[in-house]
Amino acid sequence: MDKNRQIDNARRVVITGMGMVTPLGVGKEEFGRRLFAGECAIDTIKSFDTATFPSHLGAEVTNFAPRDFISVKNLRRMDKIALMTAASARMALDDAGIKITEGNRDRTGIILGTAFGATDVTLQFASTLLTDGPALVNPILVPNTVMNAPAGHTSIELGFRGINTTVTHFAVSAETAIAYAAAEIRRGTSDFILTGGVDILSKFYYEVLTRFHALSPQNGGQEACRPFDKDRNGAIAGEGCGIICLESLQSAIARGHKPYCEITGEGIGSSPTTPTGWPENTDVIKRTLHRSMKNAGISAASIQAVSAAAHGSKILDALEAQAYAEIFADSEKNPLITSLKGAIGESFSGGGIRACALALSLEKNILPSVVGLTKPLRPMAFVVGEKKEVAINNAALAGISFGGTYAYLIFSN
Amino acid sequence: MEKRIVITGVGTLNSIANNVADFAVALQAGVCGIKELDLFDTAEFRTHKGGQIKNFSPRDYINQEWSIKRMSRADMISFAATLEALSDAGLDPLTDSQKVEMGVAIGGGSGGLLEAESFYMELLKKGSAKAQFSKLSTIYCASSADRIASELGLSGPKTTFMTACSAGATALGYARDLIVSGQASMMIAGGVEPMCRITYAAFNALQSVDPNVCRPFDKNRAGLSLGEASAIMVLEELDTAIERGARIYGEILGYGVTCDSFHMTSPDEKASGAIRSMQAALLDSGLTIEDIDYINAHGTATAVNDVTETRAIKELFGKRAYLIPVSSTKSMHAHTLGAAGALEGIVSILALLHGFVPPTINYQDSDPLCDLDYVTAGSRKANLRTVLSNSFAFGGNNTTVIFGRYDGTGARHG
Repeated sequence: MDKNRQIDNARRVVITGMGMVTPLGVGKEEFGRRLFAGECAIDTIKSFDTATFPSHLGAEVTNFAPRDFISVKNLRRMDKIALMTAASARMALDDAGIKITEGNRDRTGIILGTAFGATDVTLQFASTLLTDGPALVNPILVPNTVMNAPAGHTSIELGFRGINTTVTHFAVSAETAIAYAAAEIRRGTSDFILTGGVDILSKFYYEVLTRFHALSPQNGGQEACRPFDKDRNGAIAGEGCGIICLESLQSAIARGHKPYCEITGEGIGSSPTTPTGWPENTDVIKRTLHRSMKNAGISAASIQAVSAAAHGSKILDALEAQAYAEIFADSEKNPLITSLKGAIGESFSGGGIRACALALSLEKNILPSVVGLTKPLRPMAFVVGEKKEVAINNAALAGISFGGTYAYLIFSN
Repeated sequence: MEKRIVITGVGTLNSIANNVADFAVALQAGVCGIKELDLFDTAEFRTHKGGQIKNFSPRDYINQEWSIKRMSRADMISFAATLEALSDAGLDPLTDSQKVEMGVAIGGGSGGLLEAESFYMELLKKGSAKAQFSKLSTIYCASSADRIASELGLSGPKTTFMTACSAGATALGYARDLIVSGQASMMIAGGVEPMCRITYAAFNALQSVDPNVCRPFDKNRAGLSLGEASAIMVLEELDTAIERGARIYGEILGYGVTCDSFHMTSPDEKASGAIRSMQAALLDSGLTIEDIDYINAHGTATAVNDVTETRAIKELFGKRAYLIPVSSTKSMHAHTLGAAGALEGIVSILALLHGFVPPTINYQDSDPLCDLDYVTAGSRKANLRTVLSNSFAFGGNNTTVIFGRYDGTGARHG
């Protein structure tokens, strides 16, 4: 290998590990099996009472045993969101075949996305404060109310001391966290970065979503998540954590570890909206996807698959489909489009779980179907009914958030 | 050669000034903004003081009533500081092509919690069914970047960091990276932290708030003072700044982000995380310890922070630690959490531009464990080339940013 090639490989970012705690299962074996089998994790919510709400469905994490992953010493200090994060991060490191040592701990870090953080603990603290007064609040709760707590707990549990930051930008929290992590690997400041997203369901948070009419059934009808479907009537709330491990291609080759895929391009964009609104047109969605493709050095014709942001709401799904119809209009072969949110719900920083899924798709050359889609809103190459086998060279992971923020990541073989 | 990223405009609202010009004067005069709070009733709290922004009138900045209705206090003070920074940078109004390539990176904190508290108190009175949930639409700190980008019509990259007290500093560093990597041509970067009951109660519950005014590095220091602020910078490439004839405040030379991996609320006593954060920033800047002329300390005035930070500086700088002025301007504008790194970034570039070292005020008794030059006898004239600014947070998050005078006297480019 010549010298220039080596420099190239040091700046190429690859995914070498993954770990997840999701409504479709814990760990990549169970998650992958159920994902590609087209299973749906959406069910009646069990962890709290939804009787007084207009919605009753959710995608909850079940069968997660934190003690399988977390040391007893740290377990008792961690809340639900930190447990999911640390467990996913441990799985990702194990999957990547990385052991944290004195030699690598200062160049290993985490960049985590979370849209809402520990809504359960924060409400518990605020509720005591505003009901009983400041003298009665519990100081033990305080550390876990801050959004950076899950990443902090994870660094303590796993013992790495490099970059550590938390990105929070609504439904693109995970995608923007991954974009930052990829840029850091490229810059050469870290050897290994764990990145992805985590969010959890809690009763108050669920109530807030229903009051913002964010959840199915938005305008009546049967409650369900139907991404890109004519009869869609809102999203279903989900939860979970997905973490990927990034390093340079040079590092992966040196360790003899085969990557799932490469992250070749990122793009982030913005457009004016009301605080919880959607943009008026597809302009910046398209511009952001173009920005990511330009950074990856590819054109629209080179993309075979899109993991969409669509979650079954009237406006988002129509906008996103319209954007792809326009962007890929000139391509000879349209990419296949899937959305995982019919299976795992909308957890806002679900981009972490979706990044794991897309990396598995590139490894296996299989795209999972859009669960819940039977009547496409327009004729497009959606993966309907059954998973599809397709040779994927380049795929786009879409993040589109209310409030007008967009993030695209290009995963390449 | 790598692009050089400079600061061409700044804006701030904080407890000692409502604009940058007044801030520079107040920092040199050693003004203390830590006073009795009147933003909410503190009767039941253990402490009653803080650094509150006074005389802020949103209508001085925002014309549209519907825009004000869509903003929390955090959104409004960050937007007001953004307008000041853009005007200061000669970017008022922005051209369409500037808007397309301009992004926003904000270090957030309590976001719209002040408004969420009012909502929740109303909910307790009237019941959930009658509560106006729409008031929660700006509850999260990402709302500020959304409002800034939406009001100005920007379509560049937008992101929000939430790592408590280091968020504003990380936002500055990442904004620099986005310009270097070509994702944006200009960035609005900074931090915002509003005063609110929940945050005030949290620090009180941990008994980390001084009931009087905070005394960084003092032997009898008894905790931090909480404050609120917005602090915004306009970042762009040196070449474009020169091309447009913009006034250049200074340059972001580098930054470093590390974590303690030690404890959620206490710093590692060996100060390893802080040392590595400063080292990473030096490495990124291409500087050595000999190049640093002033350290703007995290200096919260908690018992453990100040001694740990002093230890970190001594360990890294060796004998030179005693030759470099180290001050905590939190003694004046209080600890502004998510905004702190950005606010103290503005302190740093004002120090570079106006040639002074801001003081640590409220200091009385020396602590044998804190034995550096903390600039306790008022501000000092000094010809600074570089400033290193520390921000350390709960969760063990550390960020250090190094600023340089743009003429290159202190930079690797000089």
